[in-house]
Amino acid sequence: MSTETELRRALQRIQAPDELEGLRRAWPLVRAAFEAREPVAWQRRNQWPLLAAAVVVAILAAALTSPGRALVGSVRDAVTSETVKPKPALTSLPAPGVLLVNSKNGPWRVQFDGSQRRLGPWWEGSWSPQAKYVIVTRGHRLAAIDPNAKGAIRWSLARAGTVRSARWSREAGDRVAYLNGRQLRVVAGDGTGDGPLRQLVGPTPPAWRPGGDRELAFSTVDGRIELVETDSTKTRWRTDPGEVPTQLVWSEDGERLLVLAERSLRVLDAEGHRLWATGLSVGPSGAAFVRKSHRFVLIRFSPATGRSDLVLLQAEREPGEARFLYSAPGDFGTLAMSPNGHWLLVGWVNADQWLFLRLTASKVVAISGIVEQFGGSERQGPLSKTFPSSVSWCCPASP
Amino acid sequence: MVGPGRQERAWIRGAQGGSASDLEALFREHWPRAHRAAFLVVQDAAAAEDIAQEAFLGAVRNLDRFDRRRPFGPWLHRIVVNRAIDWARARSLRRETGEVETGGDEFDTGELGNPFSEGIAAGLASLKPEQRAVIVLRYLLEYSPGEIAELLDLPRGTVNSRLRRGLDRLEDILDRERR
Repeated sequence: MSTETELRRALQRIQAPDELEGLRRAWPLVRAAFEAREPVAWQRRNQWPLLAAAVVVAILAAALTSPGRALVGSVRDAVTSETVKPKPALTSLPAPGVLLVNSKNGPWRVQFDGSQRRLGPWWEGSWSPQAKYVIVTRGHRLAAIDPNAKGAIRWSLARAGTVRSARWSREAGDRVAYLNGRQLRVVAGDGTGDGPLRQLVGPTPPAWRPGGDRELAFSTVDGRIELVETDSTKTRWRTDPGEVPTQLVWSEDGERLLVLAERSLRVLDAEGHRLWATGLSVGPSGAAFVRKSHRFVLIRFSPATGRSDLVLLQAEREPGEARFLYSAPGDFGTLAMSPNGHWLLVGWVNADQWLFLRLTASKVVAISGIVEQFGGSERQGPLSKTFPSSVSWCCPASP
Repeated sequence: MVGPGRQERAWIRGAQGGSASDLEALFREHWPRAHRAAFLVVQDAAAAEDIAQEAFLGAVRNLDRFDRRRPFGPWLHRIVVNRAIDWARARSLRRETGEVETGGDEFDTGELGNPFSEGIAAGLASLKPEQRAVIVLRYLLEYSPGEIAELLDLPRGTVNSRLRRGLDRLEDILDRERR
């Protein structure tokens, strides 16, 4: 048999891993793009109106309407920086609430009227439940500061390891979980009663379960996810090992947990059972739940095209059809849902912009020059290093 | 390059007229080979899926401009293979600049477990992306050298030399497998 014949036969037999799964994943996206397309003659006649229409199509009613009736489409190539003229400064937020922005120069508070205040030379911060305090870290120090009193320190403590990823429990606000090196610790909201919860854990920021009785999810070094009752230190459940996640995201009702890692997403129910999982391309990632819903927005990066997409999925037994919300070249770096659930803040790293996407109507607001607005400059390094790493938008009313 | 079959022309006409089911038929018909071709060139399952998906999205965006007297496959494969080459080149560049690279996925050599398939897979991995692309176009997708030259916008002599060098390399590997 000739080499050519052997080669032909061998190539016909080789199968790419996940070929059918890939087909299953790709088809909803292709169909969404198909449903959003316009006939060419019309498109040529109406180029500019099309851009506006693309924005309308993009900014999805889908987030808040039923999947079957949602008006959704792919707006690849249509909605980019060229179609949304950015404003040069953040003069106000599009929805009530207050932002906590973690920048290279420390955490900042941004109020509804756009006023900004740097909260001190801390490395990172996160809100207390009603934004009354911010829990901050720097080196070996953990502190609770008052953003309304020029960042005055209410209490602080120091630990031997590097302290980071502090998270205040949302319900009563009476517990703070944080990482001290590889140790997971919990301290009362007034800075008393500090103690270890687990001696060796993964690097993932812990996540308090909303509505739970002081229940905290964290990752182990082998990528298991564990839910622990912090008062009794008892483990409620623990998953099988997996990829160590970068982010744990609870739904507002505490019934779903997203386990987001560099190359995978696992969706768990409140008992730690896996509902579904999917592989992801290496690249920027992030996820945020739509308010009062089990649907969530996921950043999907495509290395082949260098584009980031925002897609809407559901944390149910099936992921449902992925629905495009937005697409742009480069990296999306952060997601934050407004307290009223109507707006999604998206950090567009390469463009040095924040995009506010209106989920219930047809509007995109872009703000440029984000790095500079939060004390950074080009001299500090590339945008990937200087763009604010996270934003949280406080505070949703209780569900 | 043969013209499209009656069935494919009907699917394209239906899709251009707005039929999602015709588009789905076209997608299901062409996905496996597009995905496999991308995978054989980039040798990374996630990237291959992205490339195939992006190619279909590009095809959908331009569906109305498509001349349905022409076959759909070459149009799609041109996008897939060119993007796959770009991706593989970019990966090589990242390796040169020392960026962290995740491991590629293993080939699934099919139910028959043909031992030569494994050798071929390893042999393909040792070729340059441009050589892999012409091998895949020739022996998986069954294009003639002239058609490959047209798809990749290359002189026919370049295609022939890449095919020859790729085949020589794979022949060496197959010879070792036979022994």
